Amino acid sequence: MEGARSEPERQLQPAPLEPLGGLDAEQDAAVGEEAEGDLEEGSEDRKMTENNFSLKKIEISVSEAEKRSGRNAVNMQETYTAYLVETRSVEHIDGQSVLTDSLWRRYSEFELLRSYLLVYYPHVVVPPLPEKRAEFVWHKLSADNMDPDFVERRRIGLENFLLRVASHPILCRDKIFYLFLTQESNWKETVNETGFQLKADSRLKALNATFRVKNPDKRFTELKHYSDELQSVISHLLRVRARVADRLYGVYKVHGNYGRVFSEWSAIEKEMGDGLQSAGHHMDVYASSIDDILEDEEHYADQLKEYLFYAEALRAVCRKHELMQYDLEMAAQDLASKKQQCEELATGTVRTFSLKGMTTKLFGQETPEQKEARIKVLEEQINEGEQQLKSKNLEGREFVKNAWADIERFKEQKNRDLKEALISYAVMQISMCKKGIQVWTNAKECFSKM
Amino acid sequence: MSGGPPKALPSTGPHSLRDMPHPLAGSSSEEAVGGDSTPSPDLLMTRSFGDKDLILPNGGTPAGTSSPASSSSLLNRLQLDDDIDGETRDLFVTVDDPKKHVCTMETYITYRITTKSTRVEFDLPEYSVRRRYQDFDWLRNKLEESQPTHLIPPLPEKFVVKGVVDRFSEEFVETRRKALDKFLKRITDHPVLSFNEHFNVFLTAKDLNAYKKQGMALLTRVGESVKHVTGGYKLRSRPLEFAAIGEYLDTFALKLGTIDRIAQRIIKEEIEYLVELREYGPVYSTWSALEGELAEPLEGVSACIGNCSTALEELTDDMTEDFLPVLREYILYSDSMKSVLKKRDQVQAEYETKLEAVALRKEDRPKVPADVEKCQDRMECFNADLKADMERWQNNKRQDFRQLLMGMADKNIQYYEKCLTAWESIIPLLQEKQEAK
Repeated sequence: MEGARSEPERQLQPAPLEPLGGLDAEQDAAVGEEAEGDLEEGSEDRKMTENNFSLKKIEISVSEAEKRSGRNAVNMQETYTAYLVETRSVEHIDGQSVLTDSLWRRYSEFELLRSYLLVYYPHVVVPPLPEKRAEFVWHKLSADNMDPDFVERRRIGLENFLLRVASHPILCRDKIFYLFLTQESNWKETVNETGFQLKADSRLKALNATFRVKNPDKRFTELKHYSDELQSVISHLLRVRARVADRLYGVYKVHGNYGRVFSEWSAIEKEMGDGLQSAGHHMDVYASSIDDILEDEEHYADQLKEYLFYAEALRAVCRKHELMQYDLEMAAQDLASKKQQCEELATGTVRTFSLKGMTTKLFGQETPEQKEARIKVLEEQINEGEQQLKSKNLEGREFVKNAWADIERFKEQKNRDLKEALISYAVMQISMCKKGIQVWTNAKECFSKM
Repeated sequence: MSGGPPKALPSTGPHSLRDMPHPLAGSSSEEAVGGDSTPSPDLLMTRSFGDKDLILPNGGTPAGTSSPASSSSLLNRLQLDDDIDGETRDLFVTVDDPKKHVCTMETYITYRITTKSTRVEFDLPEYSVRRRYQDFDWLRNKLEESQPTHLIPPLPEKFVVKGVVDRFSEEFVETRRKALDKFLKRITDHPVLSFNEHFNVFLTAKDLNAYKKQGMALLTRVGESVKHVTGGYKLRSRPLEFAAIGEYLDTFALKLGTIDRIAQRIIKEEIEYLVELREYGPVYSTWSALEGELAEPLEGVSACIGNCSTALEELTDDMTEDFLPVLREYILYSDSMKSVLKKRDQVQAEYETKLEAVALRKEDRPKVPADVEKCQDRMECFNADLKADMERWQNNKRQDFRQLLMGMADKNIQYYEKCLTAWESIIPLLQEKQEAK
């Protein structure tokens, strides 16, 4: 099977030659700011490159898959599949492509790349990887990861992933992505050195935020709801489709039995013999035609699966928003309470319960100097808090703006892709019907000669 | 599975037995045409139908005439029939208009039998009577009795094997009607059977039950004699042609049985496929409700799958109603043919045994005793009749299967054409560029 995309390999803008800002492990800036920094510098870079470098186009392909043996982290023998990632640059003038890079990657490295992208670009709907294990299989399809058909479909899925990343206006500029394509050795170490795992939001934190956030942007709430529903409906669709494929397989294959019995019957007939025999042959053809038909349909299932997994990517963006919003709300709440504390200290009124207030009552008032000191500390904290709140607010708004822009881009892509998928599915069905008509017409002709 | 409960036939409703006209009396039939005169007992007595004789309006066949000349005349007649192919046909029989009758004791279906004929054996040019399955069964038994040297066509199964089928559903009744129609038409086409007296009565009598009770009308000469053939004689050697027929029928029945099983299996798989399709289509609808631009395309796909499901259901219904019953009929046919072959063997065996006994006797009689001659006569009649019927059967079988299998192919083609139309019609919908919402 050739590359699944109906478009030819996507064309890239030139990968920037200088590393993009913000990827040094030494910087300790918060994730949100880093992403922001990327965006700003990236766009500047882009402007620079457009002005200073001649446009080169890049083609990416995952062209081969190979079984390998090696030793894993705990020094045990294991078999895995490695995929050949080839990058070609296309000379603009004559359209010739020259192989610039070629290296082998295994699935876990793709996963690593994606995890990295998720952390550093939380406002982007990051393209999903093909499934790790075969799911939604109908009985003839193997659930074995080593099965050649599965490996082949995975190869296409991985290529698709890389093409999606390469054609994303933001992601394509990422250095780690560039290194993934170009630097075979030590790439893993390089990624890990970015310390991205540490910067990742904890799942627990995110879950907490989801439940407790008070005022998330309504659009994100709706989007989250949509992605839940989308995931549910596509799962259902894939499950039923697998059962449909199973049943259809059964129908076709049983017809093969006609071939045999017609042949046996024709042996005892005089005039009817030839007609029966040749009709039987057509029944055999009919029975065996289902294999190719269903193999083609797997491609459709893969297209649906991609968007099933995309739903998860959408949810990740929503989660990030909720987390940031919750963070903001907590910061604002914290600031408000500190301000109140300060006010109470200054005016001497105790409106709210506090441990200090309690101990004061029990053990006596503090001295004016102590009081002054505390007020001073609080005032500093309040100042800091106000700064932080301001920047968090800005961050939050930037995030919402950028995320929503990417979501709109994603929506357009999704509508285009799924329409194409539906069209190609309809075309497959039409082809299947035509084949059916052909076979039965042939059989009918044989019967007419009986 | 078929949507909705099977349709029930209009019923005459419960009536007191006295009030209701006897349905078999013929007055409940819509047409006033004919059917009023029952052949008088006198007429019945004087007619006798020899299976080889040309039909004489009065008087029977002189006893004792032997075979060869008559059998060749029979063959001539057969050939004539084949050439004519319905153009100078003089007998037409149709089964239609099933009606349900509800009585206190039982509920049953009757069918209208319409007969049109120019034959002298029929007093009127047209008859219309009502008969129930029981009557057909009676007719068949009578034919077997009175024409034991001929192959009698099969009836559809008496009892419904799958207990789930409703005896009064429109589908079941229609299937049965077609089979009963086929049964009568096969008899009509038969040069000997169609002149059978019981057949005539069946087609014309207002009160068939009275005739049934009358006891035996005359059996044919051969029928009478074959009836008395005892079993228990051992056959020396079967003539090649009959051995071949026997072997053929064995294999034929086997293959048909296999085809029946395959066809049933296919229908089962198709029904299971249909069940999944019926769940599959609506999921696209559910999805469509979530989407904006994709809503119409997805809904279109859902509707398309729905259309394919309907087409598939029609296919499975057709195969169940039209294909399977005909297969089963032929299996029954070959079973009954086998028993006719056995009888033939017995007749031959009896003859051979008796002949041998005579040869062993030390008497000097140059002449073969009369009873041995009778046996020989019987045997040769039987052989000739059977041979002729086999040829006819082979020909009809070829045509029937040709039609049956072409019909099966046709139904599948129609199914795929319906699906093709559905899918082709949504392509423009899918490709449509939608205005920005």
